[in-house]
Order: sequence, then structure tokens, then C-alpha cells
Amino acid sequence: MADPTVLHVGQHVDVPAWLLAPEPHAPVYRPSGRRRRRGFLDATADRSAQVLRQVVLCDETAARPGLLQRLDPRTAVVAMLVVLVALALVHHPVVLVVAWAAVAGLAAASRVPVGLARAWVVVPAVTCLVAAPVTLSVVRPGDVVVVLWTWHGTGHGLTAQGLTAAAVLVARAGCSVAVVLLVTATTSWTGLFAALGALGVPRVFAQVLAMAHRYLVLLVTVAADMVTSRQVRTITGVRHDRTGRAVLGASVGALVAKAYQLTDEVHQAMVARGYRGHTRTLRTCRFGAADLVAALVVPAAAAALLIWDGTLG
Amino acid sequence: MLSCEDVSYSYLDRFPALDEVSLDVLPGQRLALLGANGCGKTTLLKVLAGLVFPTTGTVSAFGRPLTEDALADAGLNAAFRARVGLCFQNPDVQVFSPTVREEVAFGPLQLGLPTDEALARTTQVLELLGVADLADRTPMQLSGGQKKKVAIASVLATNPEVLLFDEPTAALDPRSRLWLEDLLATLAASGTAIVSATHDLDRLTHVADRAVVLAEDHRVLADAPTTEILADHDLLVTANLVAPG
Repeated sequence: MADPTVLHVGQHVDVPAWLLAPEPHAPVYRPSGRRRRRGFLDATADRSAQVLRQVVLCDETAARPGLLQRLDPRTAVVAMLVVLVALALVHHPVVLVVAWAAVAGLAAASRVPVGLARAWVVVPAVTCLVAAPVTLSVVRPGDVVVVLWTWHGTGHGLTAQGLTAAAVLVARAGCSVAVVLLVTATTSWTGLFAALGALGVPRVFAQVLAMAHRYLVLLVTVAADMVTSRQVRTITGVRHDRTGRAVLGASVGALVAKAYQLTDEVHQAMVARGYRGHTRTLRTCRFGAADLVAALVVPAAAAALLIWDGTLG
Repeated sequence: MLSCEDVSYSYLDRFPALDEVSLDVLPGQRLALLGANGCGKTTLLKVLAGLVFPTTGTVSAFGRPLTEDALADAGLNAAFRARVGLCFQNPDVQVFSPTVREEVAFGPLQLGLPTDEALARTTQVLELLGVADLADRTPMQLSGGQKKKVAIASVLATNPEVLLFDEPTAALDPRSRLWLEDLLATLAASGTAIVSATHDLDRLTHVADRAVVLAEDHRVLADAPTTEILADHDLLVTANLVAPG
């Protein structure tokens, strides 16, 4: 006897009757007046999209005309290293703040968008939290300038030495991160990887970095698609954080499997075009007048910072 | 040029992909590998490209056995890779370099061409495919169709004698598809062998003169001129290439 819940369509497909009828469980199509609560997966999707936006923004910034964009990637990388070493040797917060202002000026002259400069504020803020204990007299004894509590008749709190140490730490971290972000924002990733290879970093290492960057972006795109596909099938307004985490866990597993398969096929694609363990790549770097100017100005500026720091004591 | 005899292959020794498959790839011939999803077309292309090696059976290339051991010889490996190019179905697999220009130059450079010549060849191939304006873009900035064109360009740049394509026209717009069909016909006329894995029957006569049909049990069901294959409706039904009725 035929199953009454199944409709026979044509010769091949037995379609369940419910699939041909309106969905009785679909919510009524009208506003409920309640805002949908954002969950774990929404945040993940947003974050994935943000990463992709950052990557695109970085590439666009590196491609637009600007002061630092004129530099050959090799010059940019060497200059960055020189400045980082100089900053590590500076001990006076005022010098670091001035250096920070100079980096901000370079960013403006290189037309770095505010969206990319956000980390310049976030990193010092996080460093502040890390450095906060150093300001206390129990960690860094010294001249107490703000008394927070007394212990056996002795005032304890923020010390001048601790505050100076924390200020140096925060300013140095902020300034160093700003320099690195400035160089990565104004130099294309491809240029940076090529520069690493040209500056003596083993070519295979630079190539692995380049491919990691390429496929990380691809996998973030896939991850974002996975989360989105789950979101478009989420119908009720109930919070799904627990199931969301389960879905995310499963997605991570699927991504690992996909990455593994991708690795295998990418290697095959390389082998098919003659790769035998040693890679020959195009050298696209070119030195120009801007590089010569940078080669003179950057070491001079670094030396000036150090001399000034020495005079301040 | 390439020849398979009674080739069988199983993934992880458990999942059969090819079962006693035999075929020859001849100069100037456009050969289509037809079959439903999962019948082993891609695996067969990888066997012909010397990327996976059969569990049983033999493969030969240009008169020599094609084995893992044979390709361990640097000279033979380079000679084989210069003669046989494979274009993967998923262009993301193939477009791994930081920029389009470097991607297309990758093959010629690995084959030992001087940088200037590799660059000149890259420019010409990109112009041929109408994507010269994408040369400095990163793969992330390309659409699916553009990535496919770059993947095709990267294989053409090595000027192989045998071109293996996995779903060559997938992701291409109609105009690019027609253009690619013309290009493949021109290359075949100059002696290049073209092997295309596909299940698209609509444009089959435009991409192949001969077709090898793989059944869902991974065996060769037929090997005949394309027009004969297309005329045999029962064969196509058996291979799950057209709907019955």
C-alpha cells in the first residue's frame, strides 16, 4: 500500500508531502518588536569579515601614492629594524613620545587610513594594563607620589620610578608597534616577503610565509562562509551560544581537514609545474632616489634620538 | 605520448577510484574524459600527470615507464614536467603565488628559463588570456573566473606538449568559454594533445574529438569518437551522464 505521506512525482523522485505544502512552523511574517540578540557566531562572522577588510585595506594603502610607499620593500624592512633597535635603546619617555609623534606624522604623509591606525591606540592601552603593577611601591620601590594605602605607618602607592618605568614600557611598546604597522601598511605583503628573501632570510621560509598569508585569507573566507551559512538557517530568536560553539568546533575541524587537502593539492600543483624543492622566483624590487634619502635620514634620525636620550639622562 | 594500461588506483587502499583503466593520449588529439561525479576523472588526470601512481597497472610517458622512481631522476622529472601540464579544477589550488605575474612565471622559472624570457612569456600569455591588467594583483583580488584564467595561463606558460584540464570551462563566462575552445583547437592543430575531464555534454564536440567514458564503477565504459559517444543514449544513461527516458 502506498505511503500517504509521500507523493510520487514523475518516475524518479518521491517527494515527502510536507515538502510540497506551506511550512506550518514558519514564524508569522511580521516584526516581533524584540531585537535579535547577537551571539557567539555573529561575533565570529563579524571578526572574520573584519580580518578580510583589514587585509584589503592594507593592500589598498600599500598601492596608493604616499611618502613611504615610494620605498623599495628592502629599504623599508631595514629602516624598520634600525628604528626598532634605536627605540629599544631609548630610556626616556619624552623621547619615545616624540618618536611616536614622528611616526604618526609619517603615517599621515603616507595616507594611512584611521582604520589601520586603531591598533596604535589598542596596543598601548593593553600594555598599560600589563605595566600597571610596576607603578606600585610594592613592586617598584621609590618615591611615593600618590599614597593609596598605609602599612605599619608607611605610605604605599604609585612611585615616581614606577610611573616612569611604566611610561617607558607603554611608550616603547606603542611606538615599536606603530613603526611595524606603518611599514606593513605602506608596503605590499608580496613586497615584504620578497624583501625578506632578498635580505638573506632563506627563500623557502619567505615563500612559506607568502603562501601562509595567501591561504590564511582563503581559509578565513571559507570560515566566514561556513558561519554565514549557519546564520541564514537560524530561524528562532533563541540564543544559540552552546550550539554555536559546537558548530564552530565542527567548522574548525572541517577547516583543518580542508587545509590539509588544500596543502596536498597545492603541493601537487607546484610539482606539476616543475617544483623540485628549490624555488626560483621573480625579483621585483628596485632601488630609487627615495631609498637613498631613507638610507641617509633614518640612521641619522635614530642616532639623533639616542643622543638626545643620552643628554636627558 | 601518454599511455595507461590496466591502471587501478585506490585512495587509502580502501576507496577505489580507477579500475583497470587503459587509454592512449596521442599527439594533436583532443580527448575528453567523461563520467559522473566521483567516477575517477580527476584521479586519472593526476595519474597521467605523474602526481599519483597506480596501485596496479602501468603508465608510460614518451616511450618510458612513468613511475615514482623514474620521476625521482631530476633530468627526467624536468623533461616530463616541461612536456605535461595540468590545470586543476579548483583554481585556488593552482594560484598560490603572491601575485598573478609571479604565478604565471612560476612554471617557466622552475623549468630553468632565464628571468627575462620567463617574464616576456608571462606577459604574452596574460595578454593572450586578456588578463594582462591583473598582473600585479594578489589572488585574493580576483573573481572565480579570473582565477581560472590565471590558472590556465600558468599552465600554458610552460608550453607543454600534453595539456590536462580538469573541467576547463567551469567558472568561465560564455565568451571566455568559446575563446578557450578556440584556443584548445588551435593548440591541438599544432600538435598539442589536450585531455579534458568533464561531464558537460553540451559543448563536448567543441572540446574533444575522442571521448573515454568512465563508469560509476571506475572502469572504462567506452572509448570512441565524440560523435559516436553522444549518439549512444543508452551508454550515456549507463554512465549517468544523461537522465533516463
